[in-house]
Amino acid sequence: MANTRALVKRRKAVRNIKKITRTMELIATARFKKAFDRATEAAAYTRKITELAADLSASATNLSHPLLQKRAEVKKTLFLVIGSNRGLCGGYNASILREANQRLRLIQAENAALHLELSGKRPINFFRYQGVKAERTYTQFEDKPRFDEVEVIANHYLEAFIGEKVDRVEVAYMKFLNAARQIPVVETLLPLSPSATAETRPEQKPRVEYEFLPSAGDILQELLPVSFKVRLFQCFLDAAVSEQIARRVTMKQATENADDMIKSLSREYNRARQAQITKEIAEVIGGAAALE
Amino acid sequence: MPQSRELHCVIVTPEKALFDEAADFVAVPMFDGELGVLPGRMPVIGRLGCGELRLRRGMEVRRFFVDSGFVQIRGNTVTILTARAQLAEDIDAETVSQTLQAALTPATTPQANDEKFKLQERARAQMRVARHREESAPRG
Repeated sequence: MANTRALVKRRKAVRNIKKITRTMELIATARFKKAFDRATEAAAYTRKITELAADLSASATNLSHPLLQKRAEVKKTLFLVIGSNRGLCGGYNASILREANQRLRLIQAENAALHLELSGKRPINFFRYQGVKAERTYTQFEDKPRFDEVEVIANHYLEAFIGEKVDRVEVAYMKFLNAARQIPVVETLLPLSPSATAETRPEQKPRVEYEFLPSAGDILQELLPVSFKVRLFQCFLDAAVSEQIARRVTMKQATENADDMIKSLSREYNRARQAQITKEIAEVIGGAAALE
Repeated sequence: MPQSRELHCVIVTPEKALFDEAADFVAVPMFDGELGVLPGRMPVIGRLGCGELRLRRGMEVRRFFVDSGFVQIRGNTVTILTARAQLAEDIDAETVSQTLQAALTPATTPQANDEKFKLQERARAQMRVARHREESAPRG
């Protein structure tokens, strides 16, 4: 039978780890709530911007903007992968990286040049190991991405796109559908798809005749970059929320596993102790019998 | 549309819904000057500039600093969509004047120049809002 001391030690170790995973679960739950609230507040802005864009494009027909134009030939693709800085969040990074890697292969198969940007230490390490060079990396995004920080990146992308240095901007991230479902996706942010800016919802509500200051076209010119920024920001927020959910689920699982382990270790320990007692009694009886 | 005698003002930034209250009168900083809004105004979509957003309710006046964006007025609801908004009370005149000083030094590239010009404009607008706040303080 196994050594009882070793069993006690192991059980203690598992208990300590359980305490840690339990705490991490609680922290992730709290962070998830905060991140989720932020995402919902941001959604109000996105919804309004979309509504404005729809109203405007109803009035400003046949508008052309560089951000809406699809390039005939995609020579260079800017690809941003949003992952997490820290691990211990289950399959979160793995599933994003799998999706991103697939997309990467496709881009390489098209013979298009690639401009890879990464957010989070996990994706950085992964692509370094894969031998794919990243042009830019970000590690400042944790569970509360700030709009100012994202705006800097967004401006940089807009400039590159308008300057025709890149012909397409794609983002791989974990899309947050609801608390129980998040899926890794690759989305094309630039050129802006008309559906994202002008969702034509016919006859849902009575059309309002707006007065435009200065004019519908001019406002739309300003609005399109903003709607791109907001979409990028939304990606970062979704990623943050999904990361916290993934971490919470994983840590919950880990705590439950630790519980099971403690149970089985306790059983083993009790059995070993009982065996030792039985052995000792047998020895005493054996000794007494030998004396008679 | 019900003819209410009150405006409803909502300020939304990408990070959060900052403000959501009723007002009697709203002055919106447009790209080319101020636009005063009273209840019952015709629907408008417009572009904002940097400047002061003023809300009056009874005798109380509230001031915000708004850094460009869009405004939608529709059926007595004024929606301000902006990247940055700040309560006038939260503006720190000291830091703003420092930023302004930093922005006043000439830049080397045309691009950086544009950037600095924007910063100047924003800082000046912030200073203006801060000044109005101080001027109106003794009366209020």
